[in-house]
Amino acid sequence: MTFFSTHFLSVKRNLCKFVHQLYIKMSKKKTNTPLKANARTTKQVESKTPRKPFLIPVLPALFVAVWAWATFYYGDVFRITRENSFWVSDTREMNFILNQDYGIIRYVGRMLLMLFRYPWLGGLCLAFMATLCTWFTSIIFGFKSQWRWISLLPVGIYLLSICYAGLNIYFERETGMVLGIPVTIVAILGILALLRWLFSRTNVLKLLFIPDDESPLGNRLQLLGIIVIVGLSIGYVQWKQPYVRVINKMIRQTIEQDWYGVEETARAHADMSNRPMAAFYAIALVHTNQIADRLYDIRLDYDTLNVTGWDKTYNNGNSIYISDCSYHGGFVQTAYHNCMERAVMSGFTIHGMEIMTKCALMRSEWELANKYLRILRDVPFEGQFYKKYKKMVYNAELVNSDPEMAHIRLLEPIHDSFESVYQQPVFLGYNLRLYEGRSVNALYNSLAVCLYTKVMPDFMSRLEPIAGQTPPENVMDGILLMSNKNPNLLKAFNGLDFRMNRLSNYMNEIKPYMADRPGNARKLFNKYKGYYPYYYFFGNLRATKKREPETSTSSSGVN
Amino acid sequence: MLMGIILLASCKGTPEVPTQFETLDVKATIFPDYTDIVIPANIAPLNFMVKDTLCTAVVAQFQGKGDNVVAGSYGTEGKVVIDSIAWRKLLNDNRGCEIVANVYVQHGDSWVKYNSHKLTVAQEDIDPYLSYRLIEPGFELYRQLGLYQRNLTNFNVHTIYENNRTYDEKNNHCINCHNYQNYSSKNFLFHVRANHGGTMIIENGKAKKVQLKDSTIITSGVYPSWHPRLNMIAFSTNKTGQTFHLYHKEMIEVIDEASDLLLYDVDKNEIRHILRTRGQLETFPCWTPDGKQLYYCSADISNGVDLNQTDSVLTAYIITHYDSIRYNLMKLDFDEKTLQFSEPQTVIDCAAMGKSVTVPRVSPDGKYLLYTLGDYGQFHIWHKSSDLWIKNLETGDEYPLTESNSPDIDSFHSWSSNGRWFVFSSRRDDGNYSRPYIAYFDKEGHSRKAFMLPQEDPEHSILLLKSYNVPELTKDAVEISSTDLRNCIYNTDGEKAKYVKN
Repeated sequence: MTFFSTHFLSVKRNLCKFVHQLYIKMSKKKTNTPLKANARTTKQVESKTPRKPFLIPVLPALFVAVWAWATFYYGDVFRITRENSFWVSDTREMNFILNQDYGIIRYVGRMLLMLFRYPWLGGLCLAFMATLCTWFTSIIFGFKSQWRWISLLPVGIYLLSICYAGLNIYFERETGMVLGIPVTIVAILGILALLRWLFSRTNVLKLLFIPDDESPLGNRLQLLGIIVIVGLSIGYVQWKQPYVRVINKMIRQTIEQDWYGVEETARAHADMSNRPMAAFYAIALVHTNQIADRLYDIRLDYDTLNVTGWDKTYNNGNSIYISDCSYHGGFVQTAYHNCMERAVMSGFTIHGMEIMTKCALMRSEWELANKYLRILRDVPFEGQFYKKYKKMVYNAELVNSDPEMAHIRLLEPIHDSFESVYQQPVFLGYNLRLYEGRSVNALYNSLAVCLYTKVMPDFMSRLEPIAGQTPPENVMDGILLMSNKNPNLLKAFNGLDFRMNRLSNYMNEIKPYMADRPGNARKLFNKYKGYYPYYYFFGNLRATKKREPETSTSSSGVN
Repeated sequence: MLMGIILLASCKGTPEVPTQFETLDVKATIFPDYTDIVIPANIAPLNFMVKDTLCTAVVAQFQGKGDNVVAGSYGTEGKVVIDSIAWRKLLNDNRGCEIVANVYVQHGDSWVKYNSHKLTVAQEDIDPYLSYRLIEPGFELYRQLGLYQRNLTNFNVHTIYENNRTYDEKNNHCINCHNYQNYSSKNFLFHVRANHGGTMIIENGKAKKVQLKDSTIITSGVYPSWHPRLNMIAFSTNKTGQTFHLYHKEMIEVIDEASDLLLYDVDKNEIRHILRTRGQLETFPCWTPDGKQLYYCSADISNGVDLNQTDSVLTAYIITHYDSIRYNLMKLDFDEKTLQFSEPQTVIDCAAMGKSVTVPRVSPDGKYLLYTLGDYGQFHIWHKSSDLWIKNLETGDEYPLTESNSPDIDSFHSWSSNGRWFVFSSRRDDGNYSRPYIAYFDKEGHSRKAFMLPQEDPEHSILLLKSYNVPELTKDAVEISSTDLRNCIYNTDGEKAKYVKN
């Protein structure tokens, strides 16, 4: 009993001592010692210290780390967030934002987001805010060196939140909040820090580099904090949502019309499978005339994305790519329709307005194009787009000679019909029922869609115009697959003999896997990547997938 | 220093009318096009911008009786923003006379003068309030939209009602089809669709919500017309669908699959059918100013399809024959004492002309009927063929209002209470965004060149990403506050109207 009570008292004493020390350490209490005495003490310490410890200025390190993260790692995500936003300085045009709750925050946030037209520039802004935020937090709480890492927490929370949001950073979200919230926090912290400084009058500038009281341990802890924050955010993205960066990179490359870049990105992540990625890959293939050759170089099984809509319920995320697909698939009117519907629901975006401008130009709606161009002229960093397309207004020749638009022209429908006649989305549904096209490109698109949807009777019925030719690779494989039922097909096309053996071998090899096709699909993907018969038997097995809920259209009506 | 330079630059003011200039033998291209138009004396300043790529400054001089008015600006935008007070005086001094507008544009160091254009100030004023809905020229979905009332004598805009500004699954709703009784804002109505749905009836500043749906009625009330004296409203009830073109000059087709006419007694909260037919598609009712006749439009589909077929077969027929369904102008006589209607009478057999009529509106003096004529269908606000036509109800003459029409869409119109002005929505500027246009209508039944609703910033309609929808003129301002309307919309379910069999 005595032992226990003595031991208890001892523990209690030690605990009190520890808490007291902790309090002293954490609260940067100003001593009453005169400044000179302090300086003298420092000198004495310096003279006694044999070597000056190597300390790295934390805030500059944080600045560089956040800038690098926002530029090189997450730059494309911020860039596409910016393309899905809209900002002009004219407050009348931005009234739709300003008249909402916290409109000014949304407005300022959108303004700063415009800097991400060039991620290095936006990154500088974000890094600056992160640095200020950390600096102000240090000033307000006056942490001692080994606790100063705590002031990195707001930045850490922000970076992790952005990464956690993934595509939801902009998908049916208010894009102004991405930078609007941090800039507001920085502003509030700035005011608090100013008040704290007014009362304390300490030399807060030194916190920006190496404070006087910086200890090697504190310094290392803070640097470790930066590494942990950046590491965690990267780790989370790579582990949970690696598709976010890939999709946004592909969208950026599509905007820049870097078709080979899009293909390269997709093939580099061929194992990753989601609809936006497949959509932008297909767009690139359309522009490089490879849609019937290379579509199956990536996995097309469509894993579920972490995307929620305005109603915060799961959304299939179709609107990320649907207007682009309609436009690049030659459905100019449908693309305009898609963009407008999205604008109605989520507000006008730079990317949407650019597609609408191009649609207007392609439809020779010159004044409509002029309207959008006039608006885009005021959007920061859109001067290049404005100059390029302004020249095309009232100049159909220039429109038709633009490489992108010229290619799209080849795919435009010949006859009118209603969107509702076709299976949705129209760019697939129409091609399943294409009877007449403007070009061989349109025919290959149609054949590619038939192969993709595995609607083989429709595929067969479209082969006649290319009889006697050497068809694209996927088409040849499709013909070979169908030749069992119709051996005459083998004689009708060139180049099939060379692929026949491969198909025979393939059919033999997959026999053991046929019993459980969904289960074996991934195992075989790398071996048969790019090979249509693999996709035919193992790819995109919708029947084995849960049906995705339809996007809500409750807010619809005749307007 | 820098601030000083900026201040100096921004304080350049209005350029003076140049004394030395070259003369160009063309009229200036200005936006909006306010050249050679007839205007009411109570209209707000007609601010405009000159479309001249070489422009570095612009000045406009308005000469008439009394003092000249000069306005202009430096810069490449070429904007002319006129002082409101000077403009008001100028128009009042020149009522019934012409004003000459001289436009001078600076090209570098020298000035050029374009040929003058004229503004004729009419004797008659226009009703000072214009109500409209602002909505993206979207196609199917809606989000943020509102009803607004603009004071035409200045640039003030009053919000009648706006729906929820941010997405809210439980509160998202649409508003449409606002309509006034007898050119006054005392009594008016509009519909609320989806959440909080119902028809809002506002009488003398008090709002109530009613539910007009009944199992015998196709949908609810749609296009309304409030009787000029009785507290009764004629509605069409329409089952409307829409579909989108893939490759066509038109973007969209809005098609009625079924429609009838209804009469709603506001005081008794009773609703009954005026016409209930399967083979006829009746829509767009409109009372005459004396309230003794009801005009409407009707398409006969009975010749093309067996009416005993199911609804889906009828719908399929209508969709596949969308461009051959044509509406005729019809009328019913109305007995105010017995509240009974006569048999339908054909006023214009548009189908025989290969045309289709919508939105009949009788002039306040009862002499003219203004309507929209297009090639087919009833939703002419999306038909490029649509033009405004007039029927002289005394002589029976029918003719297009060529002076006011454009090659693009000219549709939904509303008279001023004195019958000398009408406003309509037109997509003539870019084919997509509709804007209100105002035109003078003389005693001989002819209109003048229409002009766009003036704005404080002449570029406003280019920068605005919404369409003006259903412009309606009234003599007075809406009194009820948007808060009261919101409370009524959000907090009441709406009394169900009692259906009365004929």
